[in-house]
Amino acid sequence: MSTPGSGPRSAPVAHISRSALSANAGAARARGIHFFSSLILEADAWGHGAELVRSVLAAEALTPGGHGDGPTLEAAELFGVGHASATPALRLTGTVLSVKDLRAGEGVSYGFAFRAPADTRVALVTGGYAQGIVRALGGAVDVAIAGERHPIVGRVAMDVCVVEVRDAVVRRGDEALFLGDPALGEPSLADWVRATGLVPSELITMVGLRSIREEAP
Amino acid sequence: MTARLHVDLTALTANLDRVRATVAPAGLMLVVKDDAYGHGLEAVVRTAAAAGVDWFGAFDVRTGAGVRAVVGGGPRIFAWIAASREDLDTAIAADLDLGIGDADLLEELGDAAHAAGATVRVHLKIDTGLHRNGVRPEQWPAFVRRAAELQAHGAIDVVGVWSHIAEASDAEDDDARAVFEWALGEAAAAGIQVSVRHLAASAASFARPEFRYDMVRVGAFCYGIRSAGGPSAGELGLRPIARLEADVTAVGADAVQIGIGALDGLPTSLGGGKVRVGTPAGGLRLRDVGTSRAVVDAWPQAAVGESVTVFGPGTRGEGSSTDLAELIGTIGEEIAVRVSPLVPRVHSH
Repeated sequence: MSTPGSGPRSAPVAHISRSALSANAGAARARGIHFFSSLILEADAWGHGAELVRSVLAAEALTPGGHGDGPTLEAAELFGVGHASATPALRLTGTVLSVKDLRAGEGVSYGFAFRAPADTRVALVTGGYAQGIVRALGGAVDVAIAGERHPIVGRVAMDVCVVEVRDAVVRRGDEALFLGDPALGEPSLADWVRATGLVPSELITMVGLRSIREEAP
Repeated sequence: MTARLHVDLTALTANLDRVRATVAPAGLMLVVKDDAYGHGLEAVVRTAAAAGVDWFGAFDVRTGAGVRAVVGGGPRIFAWIAASREDLDTAIAADLDLGIGDADLLEELGDAAHAAGATVRVHLKIDTGLHRNGVRPEQWPAFVRRAAELQAHGAIDVVGVWSHIAEASDAEDDDARAVFEWALGEAAAAGIQVSVRHLAASAASFARPEFRYDMVRVGAFCYGIRSAGGPSAGELGLRPIARLEADVTAVGADAVQIGIGALDGLPTSLGGGKVRVGTPAGGLRLRDVGTSRAVVDAWPQAAVGESVTVFGPGTRGEGSSTDLAELIGTIGEEIAVRVSPLVPRVHSH
């Protein structure tokens, strides 16, 4: 039996990494940056949790910057979104609720935007557009389950989406990774930006504000 | 951020009346997942319960338990997502009706009910073609036989059979309904008599009387959110209950700035002048959506502190959430639920 809070969850979980935030802030500090942009703390620190972010900034001796204060740490670098070298601080995972067969010609989800070209298998995964997994991501991006990438197929619904897993060994309760670290080859926000035409800040903020948020080491 | 979401609870009650009158004699399950589509769960549930709504649709057990905490005993609360044994235990403790569309989950529930010494009310889900959750037709006869066994043991009480339809076309929905009818027959043959058959959501509940059965599950229409590409709220006899407003924070020569932006849940793709928002001078163009501010065409004597309606019932020249959604290729529900939870909800009667 799972312990409360650690087992499979019925809504996606945004894991916020203190160490990634510290590393990103520390890298800026090492370049001689002493100030941070006021935009960082907006919208509960872009959905990462203002309390955690404040404590990381304080620990790295960064202070609020004003005009003329010199170079400032920007939100993109601190959160690792839309930034070349910084590590994403938010990892978004869902849970596999069920796995089933899908026969050639059968459709998936509202409007049957996807039809299986051949017999396959699909997994129902927690996470939909109400948690910031934008509707336009259906048919456009992958999730990773046990390190293997699988496409989201059909329309993303309000709270769930469907992933084509073919013959991969995937079971109820498995974790599906929506957003990870592109440096490790994981699905990442850059894919979402390309698929939706939206900007990194709005995508990551809605995910952080609408998912179950947990602090990771 | 100077925004707030005004929610008109009198309009909610009027919509509930309209929906119930339309679908009668079928009953209404009000769907309240995702903070009642962003309108504020507690106020919506209290208003609906006071108006006599006696079924609530909650998506997951977590939400269902939250609804139970608001309404207390009495109303039926339907949840159809349980991710773990812990969820099942919570559902039993909160006296929820559970939608079960997976053979393994049915076994897990049987174990949980046995451990709790409870009889759990269950709605069995047939997959009629949407291929999300739900048991495939070829596995359905064995599934309902197993459910009948668990019912005979007292672990479950099968009160419903249900499904979701794809709304891809009327013909495909008719095919789905034929599968649903077949599934009802198989359940009856297994000795299961159900009292609550439910298939339709908002659009079909109004447009397809034969899809109503005993109950319809309606969220969007109760909140006055019409279907993208479908009839207007007015034609349906409904009214949007929410109005998203933001105050003017700066006035320029030909444009004003308002205190809402992408971080508050307004998609940047709404910029570029295609959207009209409501102002003291009527509908004017939304020029740009920035990170925490948006820019709107100015009106004569525009002043800081005046309000702009981003979406709403249309009284100031603004569009509905669905009007905005159609301009960026999505649906009104996505615009509604993207409004940040940090934007205050202001409820009025």
